[in-house]
Amino acid sequence: MIFLKYDRRIFQNFDWMLFALVMSICAIGIINIYSTGFSLIDNRSPLYLKQLQWIMLGLSLMLVTFLIDYRAISQAAYIIYAISMASLIFVAMFGHTANGAQRWISFGFLLFQPSELMKVAIIIALARYFDDHKSNEPYLLRELFVPFLMVIVPSVLILKQPDLGTALVTIIISTSIVLFIGMNWKSILIAVASVLAMLPLAWPFLKDYQKDRLLTFLSPESDPLGTGYHIIQSMIAIGSGGFLGKGFLKGSQTQLKFLPEQQTDFVFSVFAEEWGFIGGLVLMLMFISLIIWGLKIAWHSKDLLGTILAFGITALIAWQVVINMGMVLGMIPVVGIPLPFLSYGGSAIVTLLGAIGLLMNVSVRRFILQH
Amino acid sequence: MEKQCGLRNGPEPAEFRQRLKIVLILIGLFLSILLIRLWYLQVIKGDELKQRSENNAVRFRIIQPLRGLIMDRNGTVVVDNRPSFDVLYMPTKGINHELLLQRIKDIYKTKTLEISSDRPFPKTVKPYLPVRLEKNVGMEKVALVETNILDLPGVYIEVTPVRLYLDGEIVAPITGYTGEVSQRELEEPEGDYLSGDITGKYGIEKVFNPYIRGSRGNELVEVNAFGKVIKNLGRIDPVSGSNVVLTIDAQLQKAAWEAFAGLAGAAVAMDPRDGSILAMVSSPSFDPNLFNSGIARDEWEKLQKNPLKPLSNKAISGQYPPGSIYKLIVAAAALEEDIINPDTKIFCNGSFELGNRNFRCWKKHGHGSVNLHRALVESCDVYFYTVGKMLGVDKIAKYAKMFGLGDLTGIELDHERKGLVPTRDWKLKRMKEPWLLGETISISIGQGFNLATPLQLVQAYSSLANGGTRWRPLLVQRIELSNGSITKEYLPEKIGELKLSQQTMAVLNRALWGVVNEPGGTGAAARRPYADVCGKTGTSQVIGLPQNDKARRQKKIAAFHKDHALFVCYAPMKNPEIAIAVVAENAGGGGAVAAPIARKILNAYFDAKKKEKTGQVAAIIPPADQTGD
Repeated sequence: MIFLKYDRRIFQNFDWMLFALVMSICAIGIINIYSTGFSLIDNRSPLYLKQLQWIMLGLSLMLVTFLIDYRAISQAAYIIYAISMASLIFVAMFGHTANGAQRWISFGFLLFQPSELMKVAIIIALARYFDDHKSNEPYLLRELFVPFLMVIVPSVLILKQPDLGTALVTIIISTSIVLFIGMNWKSILIAVASVLAMLPLAWPFLKDYQKDRLLTFLSPESDPLGTGYHIIQSMIAIGSGGFLGKGFLKGSQTQLKFLPEQQTDFVFSVFAEEWGFIGGLVLMLMFISLIIWGLKIAWHSKDLLGTILAFGITALIAWQVVINMGMVLGMIPVVGIPLPFLSYGGSAIVTLLGAIGLLMNVSVRRFILQH
Repeated sequence: MEKQCGLRNGPEPAEFRQRLKIVLILIGLFLSILLIRLWYLQVIKGDELKQRSENNAVRFRIIQPLRGLIMDRNGTVVVDNRPSFDVLYMPTKGINHELLLQRIKDIYKTKTLEISSDRPFPKTVKPYLPVRLEKNVGMEKVALVETNILDLPGVYIEVTPVRLYLDGEIVAPITGYTGEVSQRELEEPEGDYLSGDITGKYGIEKVFNPYIRGSRGNELVEVNAFGKVIKNLGRIDPVSGSNVVLTIDAQLQKAAWEAFAGLAGAAVAMDPRDGSILAMVSSPSFDPNLFNSGIARDEWEKLQKNPLKPLSNKAISGQYPPGSIYKLIVAAAALEEDIINPDTKIFCNGSFELGNRNFRCWKKHGHGSVNLHRALVESCDVYFYTVGKMLGVDKIAKYAKMFGLGDLTGIELDHERKGLVPTRDWKLKRMKEPWLLGETISISIGQGFNLATPLQLVQAYSSLANGGTRWRPLLVQRIELSNGSITKEYLPEKIGELKLSQQTMAVLNRALWGVVNEPGGTGAAARRPYADVCGKTGTSQVIGLPQNDKARRQKKIAAFHKDHALFVCYAPMKNPEIAIAVVAENAGGGGAVAAPIARKILNAYFDAKKKEKTGQVAAIIPPADQTGD
């Protein structure tokens, strides 16, 4: 079994840069979550400790996804996909409901959100599919029918939870992968045209609050009490941080709870309020480095499978960063996408770290795969 | 291994690298835009936004809507709203709560007032979540707080609407009352409640809450350090709830309440033509205004512990043995099942023997030989024992159910009870014992297991009065918006039919007329000069006291041993337009106690009608073909 064989080079060529970047961002995340929980008067179990536990769990998963050759993992791609699919269906039928959405599977003490796993499962499955169906020509629409189904079925399930944001991100990432692999220009035009034609049909299927969010995004100040409240408070928080920030644990917007969802979706507002433009800049540079590094891994990968995997995982991180920041900065509608490694949330951080393991896997094996 | 290391098929690496460059440029573009935006917010608009976050506390204030009015059929407002002044405190950094509380107490003391609650501050005070220090304070306190507002940082007066029940206890059992939402109601997914919201807890207020409630408005304001509003950031006006128009006639309701004169029990007046409830009183009652700002514990206990159950609407929740009221049904059954004809005579010597048991007639020495008409007029028990025995319990039950007994009438109020129409099956299932013939005998005169609510009784007699249609009792005519436009109308709904022959109904009608208007009739006390009332008396023996608990029995016997007095009637005999059921608990005989109450309600009804038609002195002539025996 070549895939599981111990190879010294795995450790010699370990991607320390990637690991260090991810760990630093995680550390910032914990410090930040500590701040959001700081002023809680009622004594809930501190979230930052929980997040730390999640990160530990994520690191163990990372070890696994790193050590097993990614080509072996890709052999199991459809099994992973099927498991994710099964848990999505399970959640649709018996899932745990919170905040009016049915997204979680409860394991007693912990809640697991299958849609997070699904995002990574789709990336692996698509990588496997395109690796199996290599083509020297750009793909035509009909050749993409199977990948289309692979993406659209779980997306609809996620949309039904309802989780518009995750469903959109899933579709956007998959689309990015397909465009990256190469798609016939005519096919792209046809696909874009049919999506545009379908949009008005999809509108009635959105929940009222989802419509509200999309509409109020267009003018948040017109509805400062409803949906606009989140955006306005977030912008006040970020803006009031100024150039240098108010200082750790001193963000009044955060500490006085004006800021909603501060441990999850609006975690960047907390950070920007307390650490200012300087902090935001540093964090953003770290993300940019991470993304460039991910693309570099895709670049250097010695096989198509590795390239797609690396690209997909990088796209996952990049898109979530862009969408989340765009959201809290009041540039795109509030769709509920967490910021990778910073937002509190067990399923997200565990699957992300697992994905990073896979990325390191690809990174390290380019040295092994040489001949 | 089919895939060899490092071998690549498919797209050329060069092509990928080209695309990766494009991706890199796109990512760079996106993140630069975000960075520019961050710069814009934090550096260019930073000072402005900092100002907004610092010295301006943004307050989100909920504006409670006015609940809809409740009106009677003539548009008279029965339940209104009034302003209540509450003292609130917005927790702010650096303020010592104990000190603040002491200051409020001192200010109150200057006018010898006291703060109503010892511990107005909850254990945990969350920043920017207002604390309601005192509810519903008088104008003196409002003035004191307002004039000293500069010494009381964070304290302010808020005006919220509360309910004003104009007719208090008279309509309380129907209108019900309101109160703050409970924890359970807060958790209802479809409730859309916030802590501190007011909701209907009982009666119309509860059942029609979705209409009455209206929807919250809210307001986002910026306030300065003194809590004064300096900028209004937006406001959504509350929407007042819809008004509920009852079928009740407030005047008649009042007359019925007064006719009860403190007795315990219930009276219901229904229009037999469509099932509209004209009046529904339950006595003793309670003052729903007490519940407005949370009822005091001792007041609540007093209401809870009162053995006369003022908090229950006895017209729909009180279940009583119908007593002789039930004879109408047994008579209908006997005629329809051809057990007897109107002329069948039975000899009453004052008792009826069954095996070694002796069932007594209420008249010790008997009624002699009586036909059905006289048996109803004089309420002869032996006649009905005999007929009932021949019918059997299940046949009687069939007719009782036809009259609507043993089932919910479907009135739009909560806590309606079903009563009970016993059958063989019921007893076997419920008590695991076979039916005894002796029980049929008791059933025949409305005693034994039989139970009915006053509403069921009036509904049953209304069905006879209108020629056989059982209407669903209508309590609400319509729902209208505060501008008067009607949003929902409640129409009469036929829910059953008396399948009796015309002849049977005529015989029963005549007999009920005789009860009130013929010599020897038990309902003479309800007689009016126009001889237009048909009715039936009932006196039901009180069971239900625990047999084994002798001491308790002895103690309570004085008050609770007396019989329930019942009377059900309708008038005028031709084309009846009002039917009334009266149940007076532990008050004595139906003819002596309940019938006069019914007569007073009837008089009030017809007097009001006469006044309405000024000029036309309505001479209501007694039916010519009816004479005394």
